[in-house]
Amino acid sequence: MRVTLKAGPEQRTFIERIEELCGENVFACYQCGRCSAGCPMASEMDLLPNQIIRLVQLGLIEDVLKSKTLFVCASCFTCESRCPKGIDMARVMEAVRHVLDPKGSDAFGPGEIPPELAKELPQQVMVALCRKFAK
Amino acid sequence: MKLHYYPGCTLKEKATALDVSTREAMKRLDIELIEPEGWTCCGAEYPLTEEKIVGLAAPIRILRQVREESGDVLVTTCSFCYAVLKRANKAIQDDPLKHRRINAFLRDDIQIDPLTKDRKTGFEDYNGEVQVLHLLEYLRDRVGAPKIQSRLKRDFQGLPVAAYYGCRLLRPQEEMDFDEPDSPRVFEDFLETVGCSSVDYAFKQECCGSYLSVSLPDAATEASYRVLRAAQMGGARAVTVTCPLCFYNMDRRQEAIKEKFLDFAGLPVLYFTQILAWALGVDRKVLGLEEHAVPADSLFKEVPVTEVRT
Repeated sequence: MRVTLKAGPEQRTFIERIEELCGENVFACYQCGRCSAGCPMASEMDLLPNQIIRLVQLGLIEDVLKSKTLFVCASCFTCESRCPKGIDMARVMEAVRHVLDPKGSDAFGPGEIPPELAKELPQQVMVALCRKFAK
Repeated sequence: MKLHYYPGCTLKEKATALDVSTREAMKRLDIELIEPEGWTCCGAEYPLTEEKIVGLAAPIRILRQVREESGDVLVTTCSFCYAVLKRANKAIQDDPLKHRRINAFLRDDIQIDPLTKDRKTGFEDYNGEVQVLHLLEYLRDRVGAPKIQSRLKRDFQGLPVAAYYGCRLLRPQEEMDFDEPDSPRVFEDFLETVGCSSVDYAFKQECCGSYLSVSLPDAATEASYRVLRAAQMGGARAVTVTCPLCFYNMDRRQEAIKEKFLDFAGLPVLYFTQILAWALGVDRKVLGLEEHAVPADSLFKEVPVTEVRT
């Protein structure tokens, strides 16, 4: 498959927006893959964390935004503690979630927690989940 | 001695065992815990993008209230609360923009009466004066092992227990500054101080699945299994946690774990404060052991109940 690597204005805006939101330099990543190697949720992901950051570098907006990975990351910061370039990948993930269409539906909203489950869940999990995944 | 203590939302309803055992244990160390007046939820998640800084308002309001009550330290036990409060405090110290915006927001919110719209005077900016400490840090640095040991009433006789840190206590190291992220010792040292022996195992700082427990339950089941299994292989008789969500994932999920992974036979999960409270002589009935899905009573029963030290 051929992929056009030239970033147009739309791609550049996207990359700049991600960097502005997360405060990380995504171009520092040299694809060593330690983030993905240590990720406890990697087996559930369609794209690995290092692949997400590579797609951001290339400005492949659609591929990033439709990835299931964004809502599999539990922000445990294992990637952050292992990155030799000091990139906080959890922040990059959060920035990508942030730029998803704000009018789109919640990836996971309060309405999706079954009432009988809500009775036994610790409050913190509901607050954290909605903070992370609801619009 | 009085100490400001932030229990957080979960400890008031679903994880009362953690709250009650903390209070009982601290009483026996002559420390009276006081809650900052009018505290709210801390937000549970520290906002990771630069634009969501309104998420800092709640933790900073709580910390500011502690300062108003002349407190210089705020102690928490829940890992989520600890991470949010500590990171928000550091953000206010280090980032002038966040300092300005959050204080401006709080000034209006605190000064303007919601009903009469009258403006009160006398708001002082919060600059990060309060120190946020986890109870494990407080016990290590401010109370000290010798004092704890001098108050021990019961002996665990080296019961092998696994310390589970999870995600929030250790990382990101630059901001949390809690312990070495890859080879932490504070939790193990605590267990050894109260008479247990700490088990070394590979998954002590891995993720338990966290809030994915609701959106991707299978993923959380597997993540929790990895931790429990590793602890059991290391010879642990129980896993100790600091966080109500780790507790939920590893204790309440154990039925699902056993169904999915046939090599796993079950392992009790305890809060570190239950261990502390029991060693300090607190009655077993007030430790909140009825909240556990995996019975943990037997661990306390088989340890000799005779007082070993007075």
